Amino acid sequence: MDKDYFMSSGIPPPQPLHFETPMPNPWSSDQSFFNPNSSLIHQFPHFDSSWTSIPSSTAAAALAPPPLAADPCFAERAAKFSRFGSRSLNGRASPPPLKNSGELPGSGGESSVSDQIPAKVNSRKRKGISRGKSKEDRSNSAKEAADDGSSKRSKQSENCENEEECNKSEQKPPEPPKDYIHVRARRGQATDSHSLAERVRREKISERMKLLQDLVPGCNKVTGKALMLDEIINYVQSLQRQVEFLSMKLASVNPDLDFNMENLLSKDMYQQQLYPLDSSIYHNQNVQHQQLQGTSISTVEPLPLDASIGLDGFSENLPQFPAFTEDDLHSIVQMGFLQNSTYFAVQNQTSNMKVEL
Amino acid sequence: MNIQPPNSSSIKSRFAVKFVQAMKRLSKRRGMGDRYKRYRATRAAARVSLAAAVGPERAWSRAVLRRIKKRRGLIGRTTTNPRRNLRGLVPGGKGMDYCSLLSETAHYITCLQAQVQVMQDMLHLSSP
Repeated sequence: MDKDYFMSSGIPPPQPLHFETPMPNPWSSDQSFFNPNSSLIHQFPHFDSSWTSIPSSTAAAALAPPPLAADPCFAERAAKFSRFGSRSLNGRASPPPLKNSGELPGSGGESSVSDQIPAKVNSRKRKGISRGKSKEDRSNSAKEAADDGSSKRSKQSENCENEEECNKSEQKPPEPPKDYIHVRARRGQATDSHSLAERVRREKISERMKLLQDLVPGCNKVTGKALMLDEIINYVQSLQRQVEFLSMKLASVNPDLDFNMENLLSKDMYQQQLYPLDSSIYHNQNVQHQQLQGTSISTVEPLPLDASIGLDGFSENLPQFPAFTEDDLHSIVQMGFLQNSTYFAVQNQTSNMKVEL
Repeated sequence: MNIQPPNSSSIKSRFAVKFVQAMKRLSKRRGMGDRYKRYRATRAAARVSLAAAVGPERAWSRAVLRRIKKRRGLIGRTTTNPRRNLRGLVPGGKGMDYCSLLSETAHYITCLQAQVQVMQDMLHLSSP
């Protein structure tokens, strides 16, 4: 399922990038945490101006508890943490408390501050700090192994994200074209690769649920995935049961089926795409055919219908076959896999009916 | 990566022809009196004809056709009324990831609807 998450043609092997600015101990275990930041600075030099203030405050906050109001943007950035989705941190055992406002008391505050400021810069831990336990823990844990797999994408999206937050602009940063699916990180949402992939997956799922909602009648009033799924399951079961019931009825009226072909084919609703059948196989294998009347089927070459003449005599003249085995099913299948050609049926009155085995 | 939604009328016509032919073959068979056997055969023919009409482009139809080729128990699936699980209902649903399962379900529902319509028409036509 991982490939569903990453959607890239080739996931590069995880290569931890080394962070170059000094970081406090709590973060040493998470070297990859600051990778996007450093690489961002190097790769997108024209953002340096907006970035230079941040690492300095990061370092400052990490090394010594600064007055929280010193950073003018801090409160604004800290306030934005509340909007981030959650993702459990790699190295954290317990979810850190959510601290959005600027007042962070003492040592607890320091850790939060040092948490939050670097987290601001480095998106990977951002959610975990503000929200604690992630909602999508299961998918997170599944993706923990390939943390740096789409680091490029996270860099790009993180750049968008941070740029949005600092400059409040939505310009897409220039990027060398990669073969990943570029996902735009939305404002106020976490941008690490896992959450991005998850978000894409969630969007795919919700898009398909919408499709299903249109298909299943009476689903409009139902909201929520669980109820919708129940409705869908009910509907599929009812459709299958209906097919069974109809087949039971059809089995009992089977002898009348000979006439159905003609009537069926003359129905307008079936004529939008007319009967691309595999007629070639019929002749080759001497399967019984039925001549059809081509009056209403204009695009196909005229097929004389002779429904009543020969078919009545078939039941007596035909060689006896074994019960409906799966060989017969095979023949249905094999009829289907040949190229479609216009229906050209010839009636075999000599009763050369042989089922394709 | 959504594949095109199915064209209902094309599926209807393809299914109709295949199913009618299968039913004709079925009716010519000896040993198929008015019995439970006939019902089972009809049901199997319906399922197979639908999958054959759809072709190999869909995972669920591929799963159905695979079952035939393996000559495994094709018929007894729906009678046992599998648990209320979408994976159990859609053929081939067990091995799919969730996203594909949803899209396969959508396609499957469309095809089932087409199948029901065709069979209803057949019933109406045969005994007006």
